[in-house]
Amino acid sequence: MSFEEFQNRSRLYVIGALEPDEIDAFEEARKQFGQKAEDFISECYALHEAFALSLKPAKSSAALKDKLMSMVREKQQR
Amino acid sequence: MEGNVDGLVPLEIDEEAPRLEASAPLLEPGAPSDLELMQGIQQGDPDALSELYDRYNGIIKALILRVIHNEAEAEDLLQEIFMEIWNQAKNFSAQKGKPLGWMVTLARRRAIDGLRKKQAYARAEERLQSETEQQPDAWVHNTTETEITRGDTRELIRKVIVSLPLPQQQAVELAFFQGMSQREIAAKTNTPLGTVKTRLELGLKKIYDGLKELRHEL
Repeated sequence: MSFEEFQNRSRLYVIGALEPDEIDAFEEARKQFGQKAEDFISECYALHEAFALSLKPAKSSAALKDKLMSMVREKQQR
Repeated sequence: MEGNVDGLVPLEIDEEAPRLEASAPLLEPGAPSDLELMQGIQQGDPDALSELYDRYNGIIKALILRVIHNEAEAEDLLQEIFMEIWNQAKNFSAQKGKPLGWMVTLARRRAIDGLRKKQAYARAEERLQSETEQQPDAWVHNTTETEITRGDTRELIRKVIVSLPLPQQQAVELAFFQGMSQREIAAKTNTPLGTVKTRLELGLKKIYDGLKELRHEL
């Protein structure tokens, strides 16, 4: 697999869209390209961030945050 | 129509380009960075979680809603996800990415798991189908919202996304927000598997490249 092909597969990999029969070849190429591959995969995770930032933020109830923080503080006191 | 974009085109990879990063909302001067907040959470500071929640609960909830299409379930999951952020913060490593990327990855996985566990998949699919028929893609809809000002990061990112041909948008949408495999997308859209793969690869590459350009503009 060329690095260009690896880059294409990496973008599929980070969103979980690689098919099971593509995983082995991908992992093999990942080992072959070493740190360069790991760096590229890390960069690809920015796609997640971008998709989320493309959405209009949704409102949540104030009670939800109160409940969350109460759970967190309760857990801390245990 | 997609036309000739279905065929793979030569890819031009600029290996010297700066690291790809989407931009989080602008912070007020003196406000702690996301990384500082994550470090606070790692040290057990609830106030850091509170601030991170205020900063990103809207984005995370929008992501969850996009996956499960149910307000009540989205609120439950939002709470569970921030609880998981609190519990799993020790696993976050700044060397592997930014806090928002880590949170979004976690939230997406939980939302897709939740969708499947609750066996709501079929119902959500029907809703998605209905929405798709009414409006080919919500990204397209969102770009027309007047409250989003020019220069807004969200709008810029959407512009990158909506610049894709609709079949590519749809493939990316189904893969990212519905967690579908290439085979599932092929079955759902009655499209050959190879075409789905090409659409995903091209779509994701264009978004990736667009984000790199956007990074230069911000």
